[in-house]
Amino acid sequence: MPEMTYLSAISDGLREEMRHDESVFCMGEDIGAFGGAFKVTDGFIEEFGADRVWDTPLAENAIIGTAVGAAVEGMRPVCEMQFADFIACGFDQLVNVAAKMHYRQGLAVPMVVRLPSGGGFSGGPYHSQNPEAWFLQSPGLKVVAPSTAEDAKGLLASAIRDPNPVVYLEHKHLYRRVKGEVPEGRYEVPLGRARVAREGTDLTVISYGAMVSVALEATEDIDGASVEVIDLRSLVPLDTESILNSVRKTSKVVVLHEANRSCGVGAEVCALIAEEAFEDLDGPVVRVTTPDVPIPFSPPLERAVLPQVDDVKEACRELLAY
Amino acid sequence: MATTTAKVAAIEDGSPKAVLTQDDRRALLRYMLLMRATEERALTLYRQGKVPGSYYDGRGQEAISVGTAFVLGPRDRTCILHRDLGAHLIRGVRPGRVLAQMMGRAGGITGGKDGNMHFGDTELGCVGMVSMLPDMALVTCGLALTFQMRKEPRVAMTWFGEGSTANGQWHEAMNVAGVRKLPVVFILENNQFAYSTPNEREFAVDPVKRMEAYGFPGVKVDGNDVEAVFYAAAEASERARSGGGPTLIECETMRMHGHGAHDDMRYVPKEMFEVWAERDPIDRYEKKLADDGIDLDEIHASVKDEIERETEWALSQPMPEAPTALEGVFATSEPRLGDGNAPWSHWKGAGNA
Amino acid sequence: MPQMGVSVAEGTIVAWRKRVGDWIEADEPIVEISTDKVETEIPSPASGRVAEILVEVGETVDVGVLLARIDSDARPGEAHVDEGPASEVIGHRSEVIEKDGNGHAPPISPVVRRMADEHGVDLSQVEGSGRRGRVTKKDLLAFLGDKPDTQHPTPETPAAEPALHSESPYREEEPAPAAATGSQELSVMRRQIGAHMVRSLQTAAHCTTVVEADMSAIEAARGKLSYLPFVARATIAALREYPMLNATLEGDRLTVHDEVNLGIAVSLGEDGLIVPVVKNAHELSHEGLATRIKDLAVRARSKKLTPDEVSGGTFTITNPGAFGALLATPIINQPQVAILDLEAVTKRPVVVNGDSIAIRPMTYLCMSWDHRALDGAVAAQFLSAVRRHIEGFDG
Repeated sequence: MPEMTYLSAISDGLREEMRHDESVFCMGEDIGAFGGAFKVTDGFIEEFGADRVWDTPLAENAIIGTAVGAAVEGMRPVCEMQFADFIACGFDQLVNVAAKMHYRQGLAVPMVVRLPSGGGFSGGPYHSQNPEAWFLQSPGLKVVAPSTAEDAKGLLASAIRDPNPVVYLEHKHLYRRVKGEVPEGRYEVPLGRARVAREGTDLTVISYGAMVSVALEATEDIDGASVEVIDLRSLVPLDTESILNSVRKTSKVVVLHEANRSCGVGAEVCALIAEEAFEDLDGPVVRVTTPDVPIPFSPPLERAVLPQVDDVKEACRELLAY
Repeated sequence: MATTTAKVAAIEDGSPKAVLTQDDRRALLRYMLLMRATEERALTLYRQGKVPGSYYDGRGQEAISVGTAFVLGPRDRTCILHRDLGAHLIRGVRPGRVLAQMMGRAGGITGGKDGNMHFGDTELGCVGMVSMLPDMALVTCGLALTFQMRKEPRVAMTWFGEGSTANGQWHEAMNVAGVRKLPVVFILENNQFAYSTPNEREFAVDPVKRMEAYGFPGVKVDGNDVEAVFYAAAEASERARSGGGPTLIECETMRMHGHGAHDDMRYVPKEMFEVWAERDPIDRYEKKLADDGIDLDEIHASVKDEIERETEWALSQPMPEAPTALEGVFATSEPRLGDGNAPWSHWKGAGNA
Repeated sequence: MPQMGVSVAEGTIVAWRKRVGDWIEADEPIVEISTDKVETEIPSPASGRVAEILVEVGETVDVGVLLARIDSDARPGEAHVDEGPASEVIGHRSEVIEKDGNGHAPPISPVVRRMADEHGVDLSQVEGSGRRGRVTKKDLLAFLGDKPDTQHPTPETPAAEPALHSESPYREEEPAPAAATGSQELSVMRRQIGAHMVRSLQTAAHCTTVVEADMSAIEAARGKLSYLPFVARATIAALREYPMLNATLEGDRLTVHDEVNLGIAVSLGEDGLIVPVVKNAHELSHEGLATRIKDLAVRARSKKLTPDEVSGGTFTITNPGAFGALLATPIINQPQVAILDLEAVTKRPVVVNGDSIAIRPMTYLCMSWDHRALDGAVAAQFLSAVRRHIEGFDG
């Protein structure tokens, strides 16, 4: 298997789907001649032409709204938000039109909105957000957030082939830092299935996206404890079974994400555990998240708010000792 | 008049010239009457407490949805607004299903999931509207984009009020349509008030004048003259169909009821109603057709009969079962939009219906 | 009976840790005794075999009376008819579980409670390795591994129907249930506590004054510490302003003390309570107080306090608040003139900054004081000062 970066795995997945299915096309700002702000669609316009690699006007509602219309007519648009933060400008079309379409009218909306998300590189308050929780409150949207190159490609394929609007969070910090073996050709990583990134017996860290590697690093050697790391991969639908199985095994849980704390994905996971696995707990469920602040620009400020390896270590140690 | 014996000969040489036969004209009147009768019945049901929520109609605007939707072919697609029941009826939605929809019944188009005019019969090629205006203008662009990418001679049509032109998404839609030369027809219904806000508080310049900046034609017609609306829409749809890009048609009209049934329209000067009542699209067209020797009584009788039957059917529909409230959030298959009715003789003659 | 502090004249036998025939090492606890000041273990003065026990449990004898004889000529390893662990030792295992400064046992987590029910395990038998000696799931699994289920017959309740729990896992553990029903004689300690309390009520003119305090500042600062050391710190500061409260009244003689020797009531669970004294508490920060209080509490529960550590108090704080009560009228620890009771800290809506309503962690500070020594105005001023120090806490 070839080794690829997370970024090239996304490109590869998108390219494979476009080659295989004429109805798949991509649209977004600067994705054509420029190849996208992060070069995910580099070389696409040469291979697929300007119709299927559409450099749209700077208009996020137009991108998403037009995609909805194309999707209900049988196309499979893949929209790129230049940064996840800009989804706010296209929010209306996504949550009011796309998300509710099938419930109200029984129409499928097979589209993907790609969100380059996350911080860690001085992007500041408008180029660093992790807005996934917004979409958990919008029934009808699926939400995925891969952490490995293999999952990045496989989840993108599943997202494109799914009959529902899928929000695909690709973490910018992982683009060129994460590398891994990626199968050639087309394959799917199913939506709604978590991955056990490492098995363990003493404590579970539940995470997704960029924080999975932080969880693995923090718990690689932590006083000899055996720490399980669950990579959710899919936030909607949530793999409740994998979460609960792990809780039943270890009885101690740290929930880790880069998004802000209140009402985040972690809060939902905590609530699930409290409701379904209360009698399996051997300690409080602990969250490690970015506090409820915008992501600041300056490196020391940003480091202070984003969860660091040591923060995760400390939380795990504390809970292990409980 | 020549139209009494007009043929649909236009099809053979590919010329897009629209022609209305006497049967077409009877149909136009009948759809306008059916729209008004359905809405009057719905208002009665609302006042009887059988329609929950609020109630919205298109009283006085019947010529616009009827005149425009009439030009569409079966494979064309629509995103229809809440003042445009006539377009639904032309595409083939039965009045009973509309009444059941408004009453929140299982037999309504959305099965009780959504109410009033928030529906689109997907089997008839319609994507239902949402409350946010003019969101559907962009969805319509997406439908049109698909036709363009597939090189299919099809048209997407949508409707919005003049209030929508003040919203940013309207600009995004016009711009995208212009940039991509999409096969789309925008129908702007200027009914003088966006809820209670008059034109002069919505925009400094008539929206139709903006079209030059978007790079496609904008025309203005008398929205209470169904044939004028029809001819403008026919020209626009043929332009779109033949690759000529989008058109915006501003139809000047007047909303003769409140924004909703809860709105007493106290903000409208009385004289304004009087002026517009004189221009009632149905009265005008009836007079015109009567002068042309068309039997109106027969049409009236058939509409009355249809409404009675449809109302009875709607009232016999059960309320939805509570568990269905949890169903259908996610799609597990991909049902496609179906094709709608195309009653214009142009389509029948061409064997396209 | 050894001399347990200068003023002690007599002592009562609470329990013998050894029986006749048992081998004992020098300095190993042999007997628990109780005086009016303290309950403590007496280390054996010599190694040997217990030859004779002369004073039975419950008897009170004067200082200097011979309690037992040890045969120091005996050799270890020689069998005797009753060789084996003394049952009392096992029976008291639960007491070695470390308790926190608030005087209650560490929580039992939902999974441990469920598994203990399923396997019929008495958790007091399990050594806890978790925080504050909590029995963790791992501890229980290890215990179950060591002692297979056959040795722990399941209780009559079928294991298939474990009790449902509605507590949050964050909730502190309930105190142990009351002793079994039926009549039984009071323990020595209970009798002594009772006598003290009755004497205090008969002696002092008790009044109780209550103020409400906003614990936000302490809440923000306390981290993993309990409220107690912070309230203690605030109390000491107030005592320095109102020394009339830092006093003892014996007969008609009122002594106002310079140093603050702060008594802290420590619950010993069913057994009763004891009031070790933090000497020269006015010299300590809240961190220092926390350390000292914890040390005294731990040693109180393991009966390692020396008599001097339970005497000489000038003011007492009692702190049953962890159990959720809102108000109490504590009884003064004679011959002091006041006792402060710290009850539950609960979030309540309060009016702040004029006419705004905010949710704040609030508590009632209830102080019983002796009307013979002072009047209500001073008591109220003092309590207000305590509140001021609590609400203005800045480290």
